[in-house]
Amino acid sequence: MTNDKSVDNNPQVAEGKVAAVATGAVDKNSRAEGLSRIVEFKNVTKRFGDGPDAFTAVKDINFAVEDLPGRGEFVAVLGPSGCGKSTVLRLIAGLAPHHPATSGEVLVGGKPIPGPGADRGMVFQDYTSFDHRSVLDNVAFGLECRGVDKAARYELARQWIGKVGLSVDKDADKYPHQLSGGMRQRVAIARTLILRPRIILMDEPFGALDPSTRLRMQDLLIELWRELEATVFFVTHSIEEAVYLGDRVYILSASPGTILEELGVPYPDFPAKEMQRDPHFLDYVFKIRDTIESLESSDRAGDD
Amino acid sequence: MLGYALGVSCIVLIVGAWFLLTLGEEAESRIISPTILQSPWEVVASLPSLIIERKLLESIGATLWRVILGFSLAVLIGVPLGMAAGTWRSARAFLAPVVLYGRNMPLAALIPLTVLWFGIGEFQKVMFIFIACVPFITADAASAVMGIHDRYVETAQTLGASSRQIAFKVLAPLALPDIFVGLRHLFGLAFGYIMLVELFDAKAGLGYLISVSQRLGPRAHIYLILIIIGILAYGIDRLLAFFQRGLFPYRSEE
Repeated sequence: MTNDKSVDNNPQVAEGKVAAVATGAVDKNSRAEGLSRIVEFKNVTKRFGDGPDAFTAVKDINFAVEDLPGRGEFVAVLGPSGCGKSTVLRLIAGLAPHHPATSGEVLVGGKPIPGPGADRGMVFQDYTSFDHRSVLDNVAFGLECRGVDKAARYELARQWIGKVGLSVDKDADKYPHQLSGGMRQRVAIARTLILRPRIILMDEPFGALDPSTRLRMQDLLIELWRELEATVFFVTHSIEEAVYLGDRVYILSASPGTILEELGVPYPDFPAKEMQRDPHFLDYVFKIRDTIESLESSDRAGDD
Repeated sequence: MLGYALGVSCIVLIVGAWFLLTLGEEAESRIISPTILQSPWEVVASLPSLIIERKLLESIGATLWRVILGFSLAVLIGVPLGMAAGTWRSARAFLAPVVLYGRNMPLAALIPLTVLWFGIGEFQKVMFIFIACVPFITADAASAVMGIHDRYVETAQTLGASSRQIAFKVLAPLALPDIFVGLRHLFGLAFGYIMLVELFDAKAGLGYLISVSQRLGPRAHIYLILIIIGILAYGIDRLLAFFQRGLFPYRSEE
């Protein structure tokens, strides 16, 4: 399944229905029996409240992502605003009030998750820096919580400040309010990745950045991900971003969110800036745009 | 700069009106009788007698000492309690009745009560300030912690922080700047409260001086003391603001 990068080879494209995806997921699961599943959703539904005010954030979500040894998979989660993309991420992270699921099972490494933990690092879009801590102390935060001594955690933090493209000499002692939005996201990424989590959850981390900064950050992320060999879940509503970053793209429908479509996409071989002009890349983007549009119209027809 | 000019013009307007209302050599020619309102010059001219005969500096010292003592005690108790209430729902539920009750307590009623408990003396005045301030300080500290965006807590959780670490490494330091701003405002309030007990009974203090001036004269001292209180309160606030900038360099805005 994971080598199956072509949209055309994916049997679910033609079907494009919720039911078809559900069976598709089961098929895939049986095929993936040999590999351990790092993240698995089994009929996961999350409902808030009761009675007429109840709101279903996500409904009957099924998928499984294998733990690819020595590589990890980059999963992009795509969908319109308010479709429950974040809910999927927060369920994996174990963050309340989304965690625990109303029904179904969220399994990480085959086990139900007890709550949030450093094995599932998360990068958010906003309020990402601890304002009272310097860049160095922000990046070292997780190690500090683990009880790593000062000299060791600062040394590692300096390495990571450099890895995310910040200046160790100039930026390490700055406070977050002295940094631009892009620099703050670099700090947040370093702070999460320094702990080498097996799963990295990213909730539209570049959503508030200007387009050119965003492309640079995408390249940085790909580079760091290859080094870390972790499984990444990246939520976005930008199709370009999903296609560029993802090995696999999940398309979620609007509320209640459910996985409508699962697509394999090619591996990014060159920088985001060039990739954006590549005709094959654009083909995929348009194909996904068409898929989303047809799914949405068939959804609306179903509602009548 | 314009704001500064507007502020000065407001003061000029008030003093100007004051000057016009008390213009005239003889009492009969003035709009307001000098037994009620003296002219600005007469008020300023009464300063030496306030300093020498009424021992102004001693009273300022006495008043400040009582407020600082009572307020510091209230900070020592109220800030940790409030931060706990902001952090843990159970602490919040536990403290809610006391805070709610304390904030709505009529202050005047506290005076006879503190006299009953602590007698009439310095200790009673300090305790009055303490009891009056502690519910407000607790409530302010709690809301400062609750005002911190959940995202910070969630980020810390996904970085492996325990709830104890979140309380001490994330919530407390992030809330402190806001708590400090709240304390600056509440200190002004405490400064007002102390006058209340000092009017009631005291052997020194600014409230005591006002009460003496009202009974024995000169009345001009009342206005003078009110002006001095305003200047003192402003000075203290600026001093605290100065400390605030030094304590919290990571806050870009004041």
